[in-house]
Amino acid sequence: MSDTVVVAGTYLISYGLIVAYAVYLHIRRRRATGD
Amino acid sequence: MTRVRILLGLAAVAVGVGLWFALTAPPDALQGEYSRLLGIHPPAMWIAFLAFGVTAFASIMWLVRKADRWDRVASASVEVGVIFTAIGLFTGMVWGQAVWGTPWDWRDPRLMSTAVMFFVYIGYIALRNAIDDPTTRARRSAVLGTVAVIQVPLVYFSVNLFRTLHQTASIRPDGSSMPDEMLMAMLVNMAAFTLLYIALMAARLDVARVEAEAESAKQPGMAGEGVRPPRLSEIEDV
Repeated sequence: MSDTVVVAGTYLISYGLIVAYAVYLHIRRRRATGD
Repeated sequence: MTRVRILLGLAAVAVGVGLWFALTAPPDALQGEYSRLLGIHPPAMWIAFLAFGVTAFASIMWLVRKADRWDRVASASVEVGVIFTAIGLFTGMVWGQAVWGTPWDWRDPRLMSTAVMFFVYIGYIALRNAIDDPTTRARRSAVLGTVAVIQVPLVYFSVNLFRTLHQTASIRPDGSSMPDEMLMAMLVNMAAFTLLYIALMAARLDVARVEAEAESAKQPGMAGEGVRPPRLSEIEDV
């Protein structure tokens, strides 16, 4: 696997984790408000 | 909610700018493309340190003032800090595999102290979930949040205090050991991640506020609240 792919994948997974947390917060908020 | 969306939008733009800096900086002569991880590994660990510092401050404030909002700030900051520590550990392991030939060394003080810090704050979250009474939960979390922050300087200075695979600090009082383009990419990403931390904290605190409101709406009224004295007009003659 090329270095570029590994570095790009590392960025993608890291940002993905942050986006997943933001989505989780969004779902939790909607559940609390009952929307 | 609008304020949270604006903050998240601004953070997304800032992270995009940071990514551009990281991807356009020239690759290192020895590490090649892996030097681009400077745009995510040090900023993620900076946010972890910042988040756990904020937790300690909020925990001390709760112990002094006993105000609920400090408990909410402390717990929110731990959640965000744990996520960024996980990113720091993961990106560090990828970088370690490329540069040291191994993703992990169980004898390395920097790696092990970071892992211990990560699991202690996972324990903080577990502790909160294990206690039902809000005051007991806040008090015990505040004590742990205040004590656990000692790990932040331990992790940071472990590279100076012990022999480790990890390099020492790249930015020192006498200057930086990095080329300007790499230094700029790292600093821009640190600023962008700081904005991201603020946005995620705002979102997490907003959720805590909404959940608290929903919880209080569900609470049954106080005993006797529904009892009213009979009116004279309602009393039938016997």
